[in-house]
Amino acid sequence: MSYISDVNQLLRAKVRASRKLVCFGQNITAGSCLGGLTRGLEAGTASLVLNTPNSENTLVGVGFGLMLRGVSGIFFMKQLDFLLLGMDQLVNSYNIVRRRQLSSSFTMMCVVVDSGYEGPQSRLNTLGDFSSMANVPAYTITNLHDARSVIDRHLVAPGCRIIAVSQRLFRDESLRFDREPEVHGDSSLLRYGSGERATIACFNFAFRQGCELVEAFRGHGESATLFSVNATLVPEWSPILEDAQRTGCLIILDDSRSTNRLSHQLRLAAARRIPAARVIVRERAARDEDLRPHPDVFAVGTEGILKEVLSS
Amino acid sequence: MNPAGVAAEAELARQLLRVRIGQLLINERLKAGEIKVPVHLALGHEAIAVAVAAAMRDGDSLLLTHRNIHYNLARAERFAAELDELLLKPSGVAQGELGSMNMANPAAGIVYTSSILGNSLCVGAGVALASLLNADDSVTFLVTGDGGMEEGAFYEALEFLKSYNLPAVVVLENNEWSMATRIEERRCPIDLASLASAFAVPHQRLGSNDVFEYLPALHGARQRARERRTPVIVEVALKTLGDRWMKPDGGDEKYINYHHGVAHGEAVESWPALRATQEDPVYVLGGRIGEDRLRAWAQEVRDSLAKGAG
Repeated sequence: MSYISDVNQLLRAKVRASRKLVCFGQNITAGSCLGGLTRGLEAGTASLVLNTPNSENTLVGVGFGLMLRGVSGIFFMKQLDFLLLGMDQLVNSYNIVRRRQLSSSFTMMCVVVDSGYEGPQSRLNTLGDFSSMANVPAYTITNLHDARSVIDRHLVAPGCRIIAVSQRLFRDESLRFDREPEVHGDSSLLRYGSGERATIACFNFAFRQGCELVEAFRGHGESATLFSVNATLVPEWSPILEDAQRTGCLIILDDSRSTNRLSHQLRLAAARRIPAARVIVRERAARDEDLRPHPDVFAVGTEGILKEVLSS
Repeated sequence: MNPAGVAAEAELARQLLRVRIGQLLINERLKAGEIKVPVHLALGHEAIAVAVAAAMRDGDSLLLTHRNIHYNLARAERFAAELDELLLKPSGVAQGELGSMNMANPAAGIVYTSSILGNSLCVGAGVALASLLNADDSVTFLVTGDGGMEEGAFYEALEFLKSYNLPAVVVLENNEWSMATRIEERRCPIDLASLASAFAVPHQRLGSNDVFEYLPALHGARQRARERRTPVIVEVALKTLGDRWMKPDGGDEKYINYHHGVAHGEAVESWPALRATQEDPVYVLGGRIGEDRLRAWAQEVRDSLAKGAG
C-alpha cells in the first residue's frame, strides 16, 4: 500500500460514517481525485460531496458558514498554496467563529506541494506558517499510524483545523511499524520506540529521514528514540526533553523552508531545560534554487550525524 | 387598508423611528467619548434595515458588515443590550465580546458579522448551503455595499450561491462612498443589473427610502429566493447621513463624508428627520403618515428608549 492509499482509505471510512458533512473542493470526484487523496469519497447520512468552482476564499468561508448552522465540512485542496487565497477567512473568520462553542467541524485538508518540480510553489512547504497567524491547529500526516491518529481524532471533531499530506510521499510505500506509537497530547507528538544513544524529533514532513537515521543507528549496533511532531501548536515538549535528557543527545530534523519554524521552539526549550544535552540540528534554508523546478530532497547527512554522535 | 394592515404599518413606522433614534442616542454617547469601539452609524440606511428585519422568518440568517448597527437595532429586542455591547459591558448583546464592527446576535438571526469587506458573503454562502442539509425552508440574507462588491469575494460568493441554487437575498447598500472616496474617484462604473444577468440572478433596484415600499419588495425577494432556489440581488441606493462642511482655521471649506465615529452635525434634538429630502427615510415616512403622527410616535419611541423599555 502506498502512503496516499492508506490516507484515502482512512478518509473514506471516516466520511462514510459521518452525518451532516459536506466534503467539497475542486475536482475531488473527478480526474485523479487530487492524486488519489479523495478517490471514492461517498457521502454518509444527510451529507454531500461537491466538486466546486475555483474560489478558495469563498470555500474557506463556506466551511465556517456551514459550522455556524450545525453542519460539518471538509475542504480538500490540491495544493497548500491555494490556501493563501483564503487567508482572510482562515484568520479573520476563524477568529470570530472560534469564540462560539460549536459542535460542528471544519477541516481544511491540503496537499503540501513539496516534490520540488513545481518550482516556486515548492518553496512554500511549512504547514506552521498557515497555522500560526490565527493559532489554527494543524497536523501533518507522514505514515499510516499518524494518519490513523489524526484522522480518527480530528477530521470531523468539533472545531477547526488544517490537516496536510505531503505530495513527495504520495507514491512511497507506506511506513508501518509492528508496535503502535505512543500518542501524546491531541496527536501532537507521536513516539516510536525507545533508544539509548539519541532522541530524534522530526518536524513537518521529515519523518522518513528520522526513520532512516534510526536504521543507521541500528546498523551500528546503537538505538535512538524517534518522535514525530505532527502538530504545529505543541503545548508541551516534556516527552521529547525528558527522553533527550536521558539519552544526552537531541537530533532535530526539520524540512520546513520558512523562518517560522516550530522546531526553534523545541531548541529554545532544550537550551533552557536540558542545557547539558547535545543538540544537533538539520534544517533547510530558503534557497534561490528552490524557486526553480528541481528534485527536492531533504538530505540530512546521516553518516555525518552518526559520526558526530558516536564519536562523543 | 384593514385594521391589521394599519397596525402592521404603524409597527413598521415605529421600528424605523426606533432605529433612527437609537442611533442618535448612540451618537450622543460617541460625542461624550463613552464609546471606544469604532461605530459606523448608518443614519439614512434605516428603511432597508427595517424592511430586511421584518421580512426575515424564523430560521432565516442575516450576515452583516462593519456598518451593521441599523440591522442589529432592527432585529434586537432591547436597545439597551445593543448600547451595552458598544460599551463592552457583559450585559451587551454579545456579552461585550464583539463590540461594534463584528456585532452579531444569533438569537435574532444575525449569525455572523465581519469587519472585512466581502468576508461575510463567503461565510454566508456556507450558511446558505447548510439549509440544504438541514432540509429547512430558510433564506440567508447577506448585506454588502458598493465597496464590498469591489472585492473578489463578492463574485466568488455569487458564483457559489448560483452554482448550488442556494436561496439567498444579497442586499447591496450603495451609498457611493468607500471611506473618503466616491465611486467615480476609485473605479469604473459597474452595472449591477447586467452583472446579475450574467449570473442569471434576479436583480431589483430600490431607491425611494420608503419602508412601506421596501417591505413588500423584500418579501418578494425572499419568496423568489426560496421558491426558485436562487440568490437574488436587491440593490439599494441610499445616502449615509452625517456628512458636513467644515472650514479649518484659515482654510477653505471642505466636504467631509461621514464614515464612522461621531456624526458631528447630527443631534438627538433635531429629530425626527435629519434632512427634508428623500435622502432621509424618516422624512419619507413623514410624507406617508403625516407630520403630527411622525412627531407623536417619535416622542413615544424616544421615551421608551430612554426608559430602557425599547
